Amino acid sequence: MCVCVRACVRACVRVCVCASDIISTVEFNSTGELLATGDKGGRVVVFQREQESKNQPHRRGEYNVYSTFQSHEPEFDYLKSLEIEEKINKIRWLPQQNAAYFLLSTNDKTVKLWKISERDKRPEGYNLKDEEGRIRDPTTITALRVPVLRPMDLMVEATPRRIFSNAHTYHINSISVNSDYETYMSTDDLRINLWNLEITNRSFNIVDIKPANMEELTEVITAAEFHPNQCNTFVYSSSKGSIKLCDMRESALCDNHSKLFEEPEDPSNRSFFSEIISSISDVKFSHSGRYLMTRDYLAVKVWDVNMENKPLETYQVHDYLRSKLCSLYENDCIFDKFECVWNGTDSVLMTGSYNNFFRMFDRNTKRDVTLEASRENSKPRAILKPRKVCVGGKRRKDEISVDSLDFSKKILHTAWHPSENIIAVAATNNLYIFQDKVN
Amino acid sequence: MDVEARRIMALSISKLYSSRTQRGGLRLHRSLLLSMTMRAARDIYHAAVEQEQVVPCAPEEPMDTKEQDTVNDSLKEVNTREPKDNLEEDKENQDSKSRKRRVKTAIEPDFLPPKKARMDTDEERQEVLKPNNGNGCRQTETLTAFPTNRAIVAC
Repeated sequence: MCVCVRACVRACVRVCVCASDIISTVEFNSTGELLATGDKGGRVVVFQREQESKNQPHRRGEYNVYSTFQSHEPEFDYLKSLEIEEKINKIRWLPQQNAAYFLLSTNDKTVKLWKISERDKRPEGYNLKDEEGRIRDPTTITALRVPVLRPMDLMVEATPRRIFSNAHTYHINSISVNSDYETYMSTDDLRINLWNLEITNRSFNIVDIKPANMEELTEVITAAEFHPNQCNTFVYSSSKGSIKLCDMRESALCDNHSKLFEEPEDPSNRSFFSEIISSISDVKFSHSGRYLMTRDYLAVKVWDVNMENKPLETYQVHDYLRSKLCSLYENDCIFDKFECVWNGTDSVLMTGSYNNFFRMFDRNTKRDVTLEASRENSKPRAILKPRKVCVGGKRRKDEISVDSLDFSKKILHTAWHPSENIIAVAATNNLYIFQDKVN
Repeated sequence: MDVEARRIMALSISKLYSSRTQRGGLRLHRSLLLSMTMRAARDIYHAAVEQEQVVPCAPEEPMDTKEQDTVNDSLKEVNTREPKDNLEEDKENQDSKSRKRRVKTAIEPDFLPPKKARMDTDEERQEVLKPNNGNGCRQTETLTAFPTNRAIVAC
């Protein structure tokens, strides 16, 4: 597959990476018009796609900064003597219902609902204050006038509309908006809570896997998502490599799953690190709701919702790392949590890897491609060249050997436009936006 | 194998220790994976060490078949000990079926940090969740920290 690059670099060029600039989540809204990113510093940057213009056809569909705001600040839990990081773990857009845009953003403990709205008019002609806002002397007012709205420079403002806090003991890893557009769920390591978007002082716990004795803890929840159109159904993944599907109609407390998706482990691959690499880092429903995609450390799997005993398809992302697990354990890379995404038609999967590589798998043709997000290799409007990792034997000229991979450059977060072939790839503190070749 | 197991055990313990001072607090998922890896490595390491200690004895002394069986039984009991056991073993309440002297690790592994006094080792931190769900689907409960200190001590 050919990908024409339109690089939209989010941060200015820096030699060293500032930790607070590291992008921690990327998400398109439901129309693809907006793209939100969250970073370790608690900031959210929203990009908006430019309207098509006959005068500048080459700028079709470029994303420009629309709004930037500080979503979360670092906090301190005095009771536990712990700092609560401001890092944005997840952003989820709400469906657009009026002129304003709404998104949910979360750090480890608190979810916030933000309203992003435009202001391009301002009222003028107040009676009690002048144009600068200073209060007028009432004795100087001799006539009454009606304030009028006059055009002004476009201003985009973000305001926090709801703050959902004090409901999670452990670290929030996921949020998911329900298709009923009234509720959403937030998930931490051991519990899932259901919220009403309007109510902040109350939430309902729907899943709790905390054992009575914490020494008996064997698994944690790693991700959760609502079904795209069945508002009673959701799934959550675990560190043991299983996925549970729950139906909220069965009972108020969904500790007992309706379906359990699990593949038996291959005993020949057993090692010290089997538990770690089988832990699922992301789970996503397909847009149709018929399939599930999961990401563990080495592979992406597609499951049919109607078949629990084994995945429909398995795609190896970087199996050449299987022999390097000890080193990856040493440098902590084995704990990296890669996300995975579907394209709009559920025919292509995408996920990240190391060395700023990301991979796409076409489910129909069974072809796959490795691409790289880097400034050196990505001139604007140039076509991305497929990359290849040499796993043994003689290395060809354009291949890279496993030992040369840069494990500090990892692509954990990616997003795919809901209907077009436009992808957003977060590479540390840079955001790359690629789209299909334009004729 | 035991060299690698020992290295992984040491690595896991040091990672568990350093994660306690991480910004944002202890990460439950990471701590769980670390302690599972550490336990797997520990089990293999102990099994390898015990095997090494038993094997040199065999050619020196002709043992009764019965006695040898008893030693083998003890080894088997130690090796097949449930991983879910309380890591702080109560030595007085060991399996009463075998009263033979168990093969013990003679020297404490040198990668363990020196024991030092610390507060709050056995008591779990107790705190009360601020009531949030008015309808009370789940009753309010006390919160406990993940007891990684226990995971570290028992080696």
